[in-house]
Amino acid sequence: MRGRKSLAVVVVAFALTTGPGLAAQTPGVGDAAPVLAVHDLDGQPVDLGQWIGKQPVFLQFWATWCTSCAALEPAVEAAKAAYGGKVQFIGINITVGDPRDSVRAWVARHDPPWLVLYDDEGASQRAYDVAETSYVVIIDRTGRIVYTGVGGKQSFGTALRRATAK
Amino acid sequence: MKSIFASLLILAVAAGPVAAQDSSAATLGPATAILVTGPEPGMKAVDFTLPWADRNGIGAPDDPFSLGALKGQVVVLAFYPQDFTSGCTAEMRTFADKYDVMFAGAVVVGISIDSLETHVRFAKSLGLPFKLLSDPRQRIAAKYGAKGSGTQMRRVVYVIGKDGKVAWREMQFNATDPKGYDRLQQAIATARGKS
Repeated sequence: MRGRKSLAVVVVAFALTTGPGLAAQTPGVGDAAPVLAVHDLDGQPVDLGQWIGKQPVFLQFWATWCTSCAALEPAVEAAKAAYGGKVQFIGINITVGDPRDSVRAWVARHDPPWLVLYDDEGASQRAYDVAETSYVVIIDRTGRIVYTGVGGKQSFGTALRRATAK
Repeated sequence: MKSIFASLLILAVAAGPVAAQDSSAATLGPATAILVTGPEPGMKAVDFTLPWADRNGIGAPDDPFSLGALKGQVVVLAFYPQDFTSGCTAEMRTFADKYDVMFAGAVVVGISIDSLETHVRFAKSLGLPFKLLSDPRQRIAAKYGAKGSGTQMRRVVYVIGKDGKVAWREMQFNATDPKGYDRLQQAIATARGKS
């Protein structure tokens, strides 16, 4: 008798979400952006709370080897040119496959359009449930997420207008 | 009671996946049921064979990868969504970078839906020192709870012990989180230390 020989334990969980994908814990549009501290390239903690909830923030998770990030760079440069006075641009290197010295050298060569952070603890990757590099999160001045997207072709105009609207 | 069978089933009713989400464009897609199951730690790993490729080319058809043939060794099964995507590049690149330290005394393979030809190109592009297995219909992925709701697999990692049982698994491995690799390395070291 199968019932006597085995014990079946079945756990059923229903996750009701309106966002994309499986992970219900992924902060999506309309959610409060997680506020935490992330290391910079020198290993010093930088509190994202000094910007999130106080002014619009453009957050990108990146790596030097990420081809999508390279493809996205012109769009980010254009966004920075248009909104750099109102929006804090931050690029969080995921550190996976990206040694600190390599990142430092890359930053010196490229002069990227964001403040470079280096999350060797993975705290922000977990908090924002980042699955891929080139992941962008745009946060309005109240600390709410107004855009998430991934890939080398993204358009930020609408989201940045919304994020900076008074 | 001779055996204990445990399974975990998660049904997630979610909107269809989209690449970008913003409040103006967010719309509800069709409800999607996602099944998450597979052998838990302590349970016997399901044996399987799959065709493989590596950076040198496609493996001979009469010499497929066989999990059962590796009994007595620690084996890492890394199911991942798709070659050349950024998350999978992060994961496989890191496996290659840490290969000598992380996978010493173990056998690691990547498994995705990609063709063997694509696997060769991907393995070459990253210089991967291990095999990539092709499971286009996700038959094996389904047995390990890694079958995705669409055409891509979920990112799931198993460590199989020398006894052929699951020693460790992470059902939502985050390729961008350095701590995930630390946990995997620790799990491999622990499995390697057991006879």
